Amino acid sequence: MPMAPLPEFSSSVKLKYVKLGYQYLVNNFVTLLFIPVMAAVYLELVRMGPEEIVGLWRSLHIDLIQILCSFFVIVFAAAVYLTSRPQPVYLMDYACFKPPITCRVPFATFLEHTRLISSDEKSVRFQMRILERSGLGEETCLPPAIHYIPPRPTMEASRAEAQLVIFSAIDDLVRKTGLKPKDIDILVVNCSLFSPTPSLSAMIINKYKLRSNVRSFNLSGMGCSAGLISIDLARDLLQVHRSSNALVISTEIITPNFYGGNQRSMLLPNCLFRMGAAAILLSNRRRDARRAKYRLVHVVRTHKGADDRAYRCVYQEEDAEGLPGISLSKDLMAIAGEALKSNITTIGPLVLPMSEQLLFFLTLVGRKLINPKWKPYIPDFKLAFEHFCIHAGGRAVIDELQKNLELSAEHVEASRMTLHRFGNTSSSSLWYELNYIESKGRMRRGDRVWQIGFGSGFKCNSAVWKCLRTVKSPVDGPWSDCIDRYPVDIPEVVKL
Amino acid sequence: MGVNSDAAAVYGHKLSTVVPGSVSGETVVHELADMDLVMKLHYVRTVYYFQQSETVDGLTIVDLKKPMFRWLTSYYPVTGRIRRTEAGRPLVKCNDCGVRIVEANCCRTLEEWLQVPHSARWRPLVPDKVLGPDLRFSPMVYVQFTKFQCGGMAIGYSWSHVLGDPVAGTNCINLWGQLLAGNPPPKSLLPHSARTPTARPARQPPVSATPLSVKQVEPAGDLWLIADACKMATDSITITESRLKHLQSEKLNSVPAFEMISALFWHCLASVRRGGREPRVVTICRHKPRAKKCAELSNEQMISTVSTSHASPADLDLAELALLVSKQKVDETTLVEESIDGDGGKPDFVVYGANLTFVDMEGVDLSGLDIKGEKPVQVDSVIDGVGDEGAVLVFPQGADAGGGSKGPAAVLILPEDQILKLREVLKREFDMA
Repeated sequence: MPMAPLPEFSSSVKLKYVKLGYQYLVNNFVTLLFIPVMAAVYLELVRMGPEEIVGLWRSLHIDLIQILCSFFVIVFAAAVYLTSRPQPVYLMDYACFKPPITCRVPFATFLEHTRLISSDEKSVRFQMRILERSGLGEETCLPPAIHYIPPRPTMEASRAEAQLVIFSAIDDLVRKTGLKPKDIDILVVNCSLFSPTPSLSAMIINKYKLRSNVRSFNLSGMGCSAGLISIDLARDLLQVHRSSNALVISTEIITPNFYGGNQRSMLLPNCLFRMGAAAILLSNRRRDARRAKYRLVHVVRTHKGADDRAYRCVYQEEDAEGLPGISLSKDLMAIAGEALKSNITTIGPLVLPMSEQLLFFLTLVGRKLINPKWKPYIPDFKLAFEHFCIHAGGRAVIDELQKNLELSAEHVEASRMTLHRFGNTSSSSLWYELNYIESKGRMRRGDRVWQIGFGSGFKCNSAVWKCLRTVKSPVDGPWSDCIDRYPVDIPEVVKL
Repeated sequence: MGVNSDAAAVYGHKLSTVVPGSVSGETVVHELADMDLVMKLHYVRTVYYFQQSETVDGLTIVDLKKPMFRWLTSYYPVTGRIRRTEAGRPLVKCNDCGVRIVEANCCRTLEEWLQVPHSARWRPLVPDKVLGPDLRFSPMVYVQFTKFQCGGMAIGYSWSHVLGDPVAGTNCINLWGQLLAGNPPPKSLLPHSARTPTARPARQPPVSATPLSVKQVEPAGDLWLIADACKMATDSITITESRLKHLQSEKLNSVPAFEMISALFWHCLASVRRGGREPRVVTICRHKPRAKKCAELSNEQMISTVSTSHASPADLDLAELALLVSKQKVDETTLVEESIDGDGGKPDFVVYGANLTFVDMEGVDLSGLDIKGEKPVQVDSVIDGVGDEGAVLVFPQGADAGGGSKGPAAVLILPEDQILKLREVLKREFDMA
């Protein structure tokens, strides 16, 4: 029926213009209010004439002392305001570890090894099904110790992997920024599952001969969202220490954590986790603003650990045979959704334009007071951000967030392609995604980026960055030799 | 020292896998030609022995594995796995699954080890795996690195004959050696999907006679191993240049070395087997000449048979036998290829050992593998999966790849008692040690 679709189309167009008009009105409300007031004052002044204005002024009886006091009060207030402003945190540059081809693991090899190591036919088939639907590609990498049948996870091999990934990333960062190791004031390292003594931060200090008064911190056990926790810690430290810089290293070491048993809930990490690391240089020096790529605007951390279900959702324990592994519960996605909602509730008022906040508030009030059956209003975050970096925890996570935040395929492209090319690199995946966006030449000055990390605990952490200078491609990074092949079409189920 | 203790001297096996450095592509397939499928029950096992030196000592397993990723990008079909078409014909799915690497140690020195008899010497140093019982997950190529007590090293290389003949197999491993030495990788040797699937008409069994050179066996199914094969022993006999010249000049000097040697062993084995199953028919196998750097994976052999009509070869003069071998070969290559059914790739054949087989290993470049310029001091190369009649591999320049060739060498693959008796006959009749 030719008539039926037309009204829908025209009504959706009308709706679009109504929405635009509403947003413009609300977001610029103060300006719109201000203009008529200023116009009225101006007209009044013009009408009064200069003598009347001078007379008005004289009638206030202000003498010199009062003027001086007011002046001092103003200067004092300005000084207090300026010194109590938070220190800006600039991201100078960052570097991601590019795994060498000698670590590549194609699907077929992974499956063959699993069959040779595992005695249980069912768990092998289960892993095959996970791999088929995982969204990973054929170029993801595992450390050399895992290429053995059975894997040989010695302490030495774990340290070797840590040195390989971390030192490569730092060397790249040094090359890009001209950073001198002796100039590093703060060092924060996060690696959840490998925590040797001396710590990884001590390993870096030893290798690069950092100063003896460097402030080093090593965060372990904090899961895949620990990358943003490190950024948050570095930011807090940069408020206390003036004119300093901070080196943040986010990584996950795979070697000691390959699960050797057959319990299904513990087999997912084997299939998804891959080698990766990122090194980030932050600074609070105002003169660095000219060279910096991004400025940190907000960090919002949400911890749902008080809820037992959330606490046990990603849990490291031993299986029935005594083999240690990380067990993922079935309601992981539901808990992630709840954590995200909490996080959004906090971050929303900080980043959303007034138009969205008003709508959300009105809908909330309406649902509480008028009719609970109203659909909750999902704020349009696309108005607040140009780019989204969603932790590439797995295909399900990205799908869930795309649905919840009503994002388009292009918004989640960075996450999906990072999952395909590098796998789940845990806390460093956000940086690979950011690098993807830059490599595609999409990062312009003034763009806002939202990084969302999820991790055990259960935690949902967000960071908001503002781009300070357009990033020109080609970009030196892990995507430099393959960006032209992306985006690729990732099938729902890969034929193995 | 028994065989068991020799095998036990090699210990500490560690398995890993090496894959191509780049993705070969989605659904890339390497078709197996008819001749490939004829040879599928055979495996080429080679062991290269390297003496202790600074170069060899300085190489870690990481150094040895590193060039393999580039190597396998060029030779990606060898990293694939066998699949079957709907009709049941095997092919290679190039899924980058990889080559299996084994690391081991030996508690003896290289010198001590080279004293071990040939048959027991090479087996512990190269994986003796076959394709199957799970064809989908069986690697087609294995490489084993064994470190000796003194610092010397043995590189064991197992090659599935279905991929290509020994010429192709050695060219493949030689490329790895060149990459290890730091040479740049060649421009892509094998274009992706090199073998375009040719329309194969469903073939009727050939109207002409079935080939004599091959023996049809029970369907191997998914385990590509000769069932009920009697255990073969191996030995290597070098024929000195002077002895060879003596034989040739004494009889006829127009007969080339390979034919001469084949005739010699045919005659001797016939006298060993007198009274039992005498070898009236032998198979001669030669490889088509190929460029050294050619990376084509294929089985390019020319298979022919020679038969003595009624006399026993033991009674014939060596000269007559040599002439018979050089002049009266019956080429059966096409006949053999046509015996394979186009759709199903059936039936299953044994080539080496169906009759007493003489293989001309001319073109097999054993000396082409070097470790950063260091040549091996000794190379043992045999074929596994040989049928009951046995085989003799004739290497034109001897199996000693280093230190000057002493003359052609014959590697015997025969039941153990026959080897002993053969040596006696050689000593008695031809004064050869």
